[in-house]
Amino acid sequence: MSEELMERLLAQADETAGEPAFRRITAAGIRRQARRRRLVRIGVPTTVAAVITLAAGLWAIGTRAQGLQPEPQRIASLEEQVRRLQAQNSATLRLVQEVLEKDRQDRRLASLNAELASIPDPMREIDRQVDKTAFILVYQADKLYKELNQTESAVRAYKEVIQLFPTNQWADVARERLSQIEQRRLNKSDGQKGEARWEPRNT
Amino acid sequence: MAAMAKVTEEQALVERFRRGDDSAFDRIVEQHSAEVAALANRLLGWPGDVDDVVQEVFVAAFLGLKKFRGASSLRTWLFTITVNKCRSRWFRRLRRLRPVTAAEAEAVASRDRSGDELAIDQEALARVRRAVQRLPQKYREVVALRYFQGLEVSEICELLGITPNVMQVRLNRAKRRLKEQLGDVLEEKS
Repeated sequence: MSEELMERLLAQADETAGEPAFRRITAAGIRRQARRRRLVRIGVPTTVAAVITLAAGLWAIGTRAQGLQPEPQRIASLEEQVRRLQAQNSATLRLVQEVLEKDRQDRRLASLNAELASIPDPMREIDRQVDKTAFILVYQADKLYKELNQTESAVRAYKEVIQLFPTNQWADVARERLSQIEQRRLNKSDGQKGEARWEPRNT
Repeated sequence: MAAMAKVTEEQALVERFRRGDDSAFDRIVEQHSAEVAALANRLLGWPGDVDDVVQEVFVAAFLGLKKFRGASSLRTWLFTITVNKCRSRWFRRLRRLRPVTAAEAEAVASRDRSGDELAIDQEALARVRRAVQRLPQKYREVVALRYFQGLEVSEICELLGITPNVMQVRLNRAKRRLKEQLGDVLEEKS
């Protein structure tokens, strides 16, 4: 009973809801609509793809352009960085040059020191030359006295050595010779005859 | 015999359409549009205007008719399309669902109320329709096809792609829910 009642109620509810409204449909209209839908189905994704491609392209171009033309702040920052690097580079270069210069000077100093070390002591050289000169003078004076019997010339030569090099050893030798000559003259004047001839010491 | 003749006529129409005869499709529309519109109206909860759904159904039919093999009747095939389109529409509507304002609720209530005895009946029937609308989609479909559209069980099973047992279970559950909601109306009417 309840089932039947419900079915009847459902049928009544449907009947009283009224007829549905819809436009008359024709094959031509449907064909137009189908064509339009097909166009939309193909055209919309194509258009969307084209728009996306275009947008991506524009974005890529924009990004590249932005990359080529950085912002002023970025330029300033980069310039500052370049300046800092340049200053650092200059300082390093200066330091390297200073080190090289110091090394060069050290090497020059070492070379000069070596050269200086190779040079003999001038005072000693002078002393040696003085000694040599004095010896030559004494030697010539001895030769004058012994070989040439020029006693006066020999005496002058000995006196010259004593005058020129009073502190030299050869001045002492010259004094000794003069003393011997003086002694011999004295002896000769005392009448001693046949006195042995004086021989200068071996120089 | 009449059914055989009808099937033959449908096949002839489909064959004519395949050959490019638009008038065959016009004939199919003429034969089935009212039933398709009625089914759509019932499945969508009697909105009244089902023009869009009917258009969609026949556009789909137009595009798919050349592939129609005649495994079921043209009517069942069109009903299947209608059910699918209504399901899609229902889901689209659910997505756009918004809370009903107090003014809108009052307007619906006043539309259902209109004068004494007749008004009481109208209100009861409106309640029946609302109860059917509130049913889950799978129950609403079997109720609409069985009680409103008057289809046979085998036809409904073919259309929805379910077994008779499943259909019977759905129908029983739908009726139980309706009884729960319309208990006082049923008592009053009985």
